[in-house]
Amino acid sequence: MGYVAVKGGADAIYNSRELIEFYRLKDASTPLEIKEIKSQLRLAIDKIIGEGGLYAPEYAAIALKQAEGDLFEAAFIIRAFRTTLQRRFYSERINTREMFVKRKISASFREIPGGQILGPTRDYTQRILDTAKAFETIDDVKLFIDKFKKQSNNKQSEPIQEYEKIIDQLKKEGLLKSVDFKEDRTILDITREAIKFPAPRSARLQMMARSETGGLMAMGYSSMRGFGTIHPTVGELRYGSIPIRLKDPSGKIRYVGKIEVTEAEMISDALEVEKKESPKYMVGYGLCFGQNDTKAICMGMLDVSMRSKDQSLPANDQEFVLFHTEGIESMGFTNHLKLPHYVTFQSSLSNMRDAVERKSEKKEMLTKELTEG
Amino acid sequence: MNEIDYVLCECALSALQELVEILEKECQIEIVKTPTICMTMIEAEDSVELQPFYLGEALTTESELIVDGKIGYGICLGDEPVRSYCIAFVDAYLKKEGRNTMVLLNFIREHNKIIEEERQEEHAYIMRTKVDFKLMEQE
Repeated sequence: MGYVAVKGGADAIYNSRELIEFYRLKDASTPLEIKEIKSQLRLAIDKIIGEGGLYAPEYAAIALKQAEGDLFEAAFIIRAFRTTLQRRFYSERINTREMFVKRKISASFREIPGGQILGPTRDYTQRILDTAKAFETIDDVKLFIDKFKKQSNNKQSEPIQEYEKIIDQLKKEGLLKSVDFKEDRTILDITREAIKFPAPRSARLQMMARSETGGLMAMGYSSMRGFGTIHPTVGELRYGSIPIRLKDPSGKIRYVGKIEVTEAEMISDALEVEKKESPKYMVGYGLCFGQNDTKAICMGMLDVSMRSKDQSLPANDQEFVLFHTEGIESMGFTNHLKLPHYVTFQSSLSNMRDAVERKSEKKEMLTKELTEG
Repeated sequence: MNEIDYVLCECALSALQELVEILEKECQIEIVKTPTICMTMIEAEDSVELQPFYLGEALTTESELIVDGKIGYGICLGDEPVRSYCIAFVDAYLKKEGRNTMVLLNFIREHNKIIEEERQEEHAYIMRTKVDFKLMEQE
């Protein structure tokens, strides 16, 4: 079965693009400002930059506006945009211990170095719809900001510092599984080289860092519900900004700005420990752009599960996890079903009609034989 | 030098532009590369086993200038053509003879203070969310 090219839809396609713009704008009283989208839809922007694989909050805000709020489409636009840019630099390896911490919690220990800092979170809200938001005015915004700032200024603040990590403590006590140097530790770039399975850990982490949050969550959740072997605890979850440095063309290391990231260290029982060894913990690692607790936690969980030798469970199977959580690919393939499949379907229809005809002929013959017999 | 780059990347753009406009009056400038957007691949590592991996790319602007015969590179995250130009200018300016280091250093000192105050202010907001655990019987 070959493909047959058809044409004739150009006008309809053009008009459809015009129509979607019309639907985007027909009831608009004010065009959405990029600055406002970026600041007021912060968490949506964080998802787009993460899944788009490009840290560019302003461009993500444009994509979100263009896509009428569809995060998949916006991430797709960003992923497409990045292909038009040249990669000119590689950063120096980032050090998350340098983070300007905005959130830092642990579910494993109550007392952690520097204390538990909830930061900006909706974790402890009742999810009651705040209908007052419908009538929010600029005066309300100013009033809230002024009040908030005044409250803070009244308190003596602790100096900014870098904090020790929970895992450092476990490491010191010898409770963490030692590094398996037999494991493939090469650094692969999945944007330049096609991934093959089993994939090195670097490729798995890179793929998960730009996976779709919902997909990662489904896989992580499946593991906890029994379709996997992992049910870890959050050792530490941090969100904040980290400095980026790189070598300029003269070879000098330069500070070029900061990015926001969420980091999760997930503590789990070590999957396979040598018989003579005492029990150990294993830490799964999650790191992604922006503030996205769910993504970092699930990434850390799946980092552990994909290291299991038992690949029969969905959340342990590298190919299953990585290919099906890749939002752009999944969305692209799913949505291709909407595109014309006339020839394929006509062929299926023709086979179906033939089969039905054969069946009814056979039935007729059988009835005839029975009546005549 | 790192502190200079830090301030140039983080300070208010209008102030930086104003500074460069003053300094560039006395210089011969040749633009080698106009501010252009490109990408930087961010290299990360797992905090436990120190496994390196690529986190993703960041939008970057780069430019290249020659100021009185000295080359300067301006690189910063985001789509920031003006900032990139200014950083390249300062990078080159600092290498040239007869530079007005005092004006520049005063700018860096002043803006570093502003940036640090803003950071400290944000930190104070954040620290209000620090959990103060009390045992139930202490209530």
